[in-house]
Amino acid sequence: MSSRRHLSELRGNSDLYPRNVRTGMYAWLFHRITGLALVFYIILHIFVIASVNFGGGSFDATMRLLTSKPFVLIDLTLVAVVLYHSLNGLRIIFFDLGYGIKNQRGIFWALMAVGTVIFVFAAVASSRLLFRA
Amino acid sequence: MSITDTKPQLKGQNVATVNIFRYDPSTTDEAHYDSWQVPITGSMTVLDLLFYILEHEDGSLAFRYACREAICGSCALYVNGTYRLACKTQLKDLKATEINISPLPHLKVIKDLVVDMDPFWEKYERIRPYLITRDDLPEKEFLQDPADRLKMDDMVDCILCGACYSSCPQCWTDPEYLGPAALVKMNRFTVDTRDQANQERTKIFDNEHGVWRCHTIFNCVEACPKDINQTYSIQHLKRRAVARRFGGK
Ligand code: SF4
Ligand code: FES
Repeated sequence: MSSRRHLSELRGNSDLYPRNVRTGMYAWLFHRITGLALVFYIILHIFVIASVNFGGGSFDATMRLLTSKPFVLIDLTLVAVVLYHSLNGLRIIFFDLGYGIKNQRGIFWALMAVGTVIFVFAAVASSRLLFRA
Repeated sequence: MSITDTKPQLKGQNVATVNIFRYDPSTTDEAHYDSWQVPITGSMTVLDLLFYILEHEDGSLAFRYACREAICGSCALYVNGTYRLACKTQLKDLKATEINISPLPHLKVIKDLVVDMDPFWEKYERIRPYLITRDDLPEKEFLQDPADRLKMDDMVDCILCGACYSSCPQCWTDPEYLGPAALVKMNRFTVDTRDQANQERTKIFDNEHGVWRCHTIFNCVEACPKDINQTYSIQHLKRRAVARRFGGK
């Protein structure tokens, strides 16, 4: 005798269930997401820097805001996003040149390790701004 | 003798819970999973399991198979979160007491585990998967250097099971994309020293629905039951396309 089970009960067997998504697909997905985030950031960046057009005072005020604690945290997120996008971008360039295609997972995790080291360095460097009195 | 007479007894055996995707377009019943308790023996494969269900539990279960030895490519399924050939996958290798079997994802289901492979075959046809020659045919056979034959070694193992096609996010979103298997075959003929249609072939793969749709996601490589590296072939074709645009040839 069979018993009946609803599709949602076996969602874990779906190919898009997080556990079933493979390294390369995550890498691609995050590359897309970070790419969009960076496009958004660059527009924001242009507007923020444009505050210099309204005189030194306005620029200084903007800079003060940007070195405040919440913005340091946002900046660290930006570091992570840029690191991911550039390092994975390198990985993709390797593939386009024909290198490392048969070792894509290893290359991904090696580059992520490099990214983590650089990120820790950036976090330590910015801790001065975070933990100031 | 009714079929239940020959049905093996469950007592004292390893028993697995088997959940199989069911869909029958001739009824109004919606898609669901049916679940059975099945006695498992040592070297039982997923295909054996399907036969067990067919013979002892539900004769209406639809699934594809032909060769039973991983060479025809009919039996690709989605089993416990991975793409598998039913005939090649031993249950003990799944290392699970619960076995979930679904049809290949992202293809239209015809019935139960049988999917519509037409989009896949259509792309395969489009790349002209046969030797094209201009010169007169040789009297006996085409001769080929073993070293040249070796260049195609990566690509000739494909059994056209469709697992890679079903796994590729670019195939899901671009119904015109040639897909991994067709492009592997394309590469197989572009590196073949006997083939003389490189010009025409380039036109087929050097466009937005050809190699440039590939974003090196590698789902195909993970899915392939024959351990073919499709991305390797696709990247090779990309380099070839670029070289051709810059340098002629
Ligand atoms: S390349 Fe591999 S996964 Fe794709 S159709 Fe051929 S055998 Fe199947
Ligand atoms: S039945 Fe032929 S490949 Fe599985």
